[in-house]
Amino acid sequence: MTPRGTRTARILGAALLLVALLLPLGTRALLGHDEYWIQVLIWVMFFAYLSAAWNLIGGFAGQYSIGHAGLVGIGAYTSSLLMIHAGLTPWIGMLVGGVLAALVGGLIGYPCFRLRGAFFSLVTIAFAEMLRVGLELTDRLGPLEINGVRGLLLPVAGDRPWQFQFASKRPYYYVMLALLLVVLAAGWIVKRSRLGYYLAAIRDDEDAAAALGINPARVKLAAMMLSSFFAALGGTFYAQLVGYITPTRTISLDFSVQMVIMAVLGGIGTVLGPLWGALVLVPIAEITRALWGGSLQGIHLIVYGALLILVILYWPQGIDPWVRRGVEALARAAGRRRGAPTEAPVVENAPRIVLPEGGLLGARLSPNGGGTLLKVRGLSKSFGGAIGVREVSFEVSAGEVVGIIGANGAGKTTLFNLITGTLAPDDGEIWFGGHRLGGEKPDVRNRLGIARTFQIVRPFIGMTTLENVMVAALPRVADVGEARREAVRYLEFVGLAHRPHTPAGGLSTGERKRLELARALATRPRLLLLDEVTGGVDQRSLPGLVRLIQKVKGEGLTLLVIEHNLRIISAVADRLVMMHLGQKIQEGAPTAVVNDPEVVQIYVGGAAAHG
Amino acid sequence: MRSFWQATVSGLLIGGIYALIALGLNIVFGTMRVVNFAQGALLMIGMFMAYWLWELGGLHPYLSPFITIPALFGLGYLIQRTLVSPLLARERAREPMSVLLVTLGLALVLENVALLFFSADFKAIHTDVSLATVKAGGIIISVPRLIGMGAMILSCLALYLFFTRTDLGRAVRATGQDREVARLMGINDARIYGVAYALSTALMGIAAAVLVPFFYVHPGVGTSFLLKVFVIVVLGGIGSMPGAALGGLLVGMIEGIVGLYVQASAAQIVLFGAFIAILLVRPAGLLGVERR
Repeated sequence: MTPRGTRTARILGAALLLVALLLPLGTRALLGHDEYWIQVLIWVMFFAYLSAAWNLIGGFAGQYSIGHAGLVGIGAYTSSLLMIHAGLTPWIGMLVGGVLAALVGGLIGYPCFRLRGAFFSLVTIAFAEMLRVGLELTDRLGPLEINGVRGLLLPVAGDRPWQFQFASKRPYYYVMLALLLVVLAAGWIVKRSRLGYYLAAIRDDEDAAAALGINPARVKLAAMMLSSFFAALGGTFYAQLVGYITPTRTISLDFSVQMVIMAVLGGIGTVLGPLWGALVLVPIAEITRALWGGSLQGIHLIVYGALLILVILYWPQGIDPWVRRGVEALARAAGRRRGAPTEAPVVENAPRIVLPEGGLLGARLSPNGGGTLLKVRGLSKSFGGAIGVREVSFEVSAGEVVGIIGANGAGKTTLFNLITGTLAPDDGEIWFGGHRLGGEKPDVRNRLGIARTFQIVRPFIGMTTLENVMVAALPRVADVGEARREAVRYLEFVGLAHRPHTPAGGLSTGERKRLELARALATRPRLLLLDEVTGGVDQRSLPGLVRLIQKVKGEGLTLLVIEHNLRIISAVADRLVMMHLGQKIQEGAPTAVVNDPEVVQIYVGGAAAHG
Repeated sequence: MRSFWQATVSGLLIGGIYALIALGLNIVFGTMRVVNFAQGALLMIGMFMAYWLWELGGLHPYLSPFITIPALFGLGYLIQRTLVSPLLARERAREPMSVLLVTLGLALVLENVALLFFSADFKAIHTDVSLATVKAGGIIISVPRLIGMGAMILSCLALYLFFTRTDLGRAVRATGQDREVARLMGINDARIYGVAYALSTALMGIAAAVLVPFFYVHPGVGTSFLLKVFVIVVLGGIGSMPGAALGGLLVGMIEGIVGLYVQASAAQIVLFGAFIAILLVRPAGLLGVERR
């Protein structure tokens, strides 16, 4: 948003909050008996709340839970059982339920987060279903009366605020408003925190995020636990408001699905989207209920389902962008009326680059080429019957630039995937900095000092260039502000500092290559693997990219470079390794390798075959 | 001991039906990497079709597949082309998770439209086989369930032959393994996806036919089956055909045996425990392959 838009949004937000605070006072004056209206408003906020809780894992991390009602149920049952059997106030019981739900959420999430996302959806829905059926069929659990399908009736004792019980709906309204504000604030904070950047990166491209040293499973776990905690608090509120919970009603699939639909319609992954979704959808349910009552149940669910389909197909960003545009338009209109310039000049906040001591990349460099940095010995990997890499051995000294050449299918990228931990070798050893690497995942190897770029560039397209590099810097710095300053420096280094706020999806291929390089550099690697820097780049951008690699080399960084263009790689590399059909067939000084008859034969033959 | 075998056999027989639905789910997942949440709603539609064919047309449920299979195949193909296909194209670069949400929306629409037209009442039909039983070795076996088991075995066999012996079946498998390579081989992947989805939907015609003679028909019936089938798919291994069959039979058996000796709730708790244990030890499921 523009600065003026932000200011307008703040004013509108404050006004909205004021309205929300005063609304219960107004309804009585306007509508007389207003308990029904207060109730409707409570439901709007309640669903916005649950949907916002769901959004923390579903939207921010892109992991669609379809079983959040199960977590709501844990909250409702925990606080209610504690109240009935131990006399514990639900105010505390809700926190107990929240912690319990966070643990359960973590337990079911953890095994899934190493697998694909569909698996998580299945597991969450299966979890909620089993919890529901389990509770329905259980009358007693040790000393606890569960009452099966009959559920729990909370003892009612009039107006007892300390017991989370109120005689009128009004206090519930304010409690819900407070809860909603808390969960929205949590979303706002997460979005701007380290966790938020990691989540957005993982949602866009999990492998690329892992290559920057982010542990995807751990980050998703944190989001899931947070989301579960808030969902459970909602469960306690529900129990206290309705006074009666059953497994069938509290842990219903419809409930889980509604959380998803509201977030999707409002704008999945946005902070306020769930609120917009609930503001639209809950009234639809109320209106159909008022019009057709019990005779035609489920009409609102037809509308919900149809909207879900339409939004995903034609309008995947939901309502939130419209709201933003509306706010911007309002801000411009207000600006015009005051006679201010319609568009404030955008000042890119990009300070001059200040090289840290020892150069931009210096901190982790070993000076004067301190011996062997990478040693690969007898490395082999096959896929089914096909050979990827066979008994490859070579070494890279600190400060050296080694080029890997070979035709398509020679095993170059497979070799990179083995070194970065994306693939596990069938046989052979990889030594890095004097330590033998074992089963470390890509994120761990990155933190050890191995960074990479990808053959087909993989920027996080949902983020700006600056944010892309910030994600890479974050694991190594104290806070988001420092990451931003670092990121600016690396953008400057690769020549992208003039467009920090461009969405990465809008960059040219050459610019994406630079961005990916900046991202890899920002992890402060000791060894950088570059996979086809010039691949897919137009001729005019080539010289600039080559100069950039020379510049990286000039910083003294150790490089392993895959490159098709022999002229370029000969100019950049100290040594070349030639691969063919998974094996190393030649190694040595660039001129010697390039002029080797066997290499020439393969290259000319390969070129001929490619036409 | 006799009651043990009785419970085992009864459990296995209902497990066969679970397996049939799980199979449908895994065909779609195996080719498109998509969880089809509408699978249960499509089963429900199949069951209502079989029900009305009997009520209005007097067609025996076991003959209904001649009508329901082509109808559901067409419906499935249509759904895939209009709702799923555009999303697969859009999310080619990553896991097509939004398809999951769209099928969820579809399930919601179908189920509640059924509720609107047919009400929530449980409908049942009584055919000549509905209450028939046979006795073998002292064990009483319900005939419709036995027929259901037979249908499951025949369907598995037919699917196995389809996937291994026919060009179209092999093309479906190839597309599931590597879409890009399949395209390079000249396979029309969009059509293959349509066929796979339609096939899994058509399978619900068979499941519906064998269920209707002994199981109530109501709008939520499909989802109630599907939720159990999700557990089965996670246990057996997502995308794995043998896993679906094994998981289905296993869950049916656990329900039968534990339900006999303790009570139905205990069966659920045992299932829950097994579910969590499998998840922690073999997250990809008993027969699943961990593939990203």
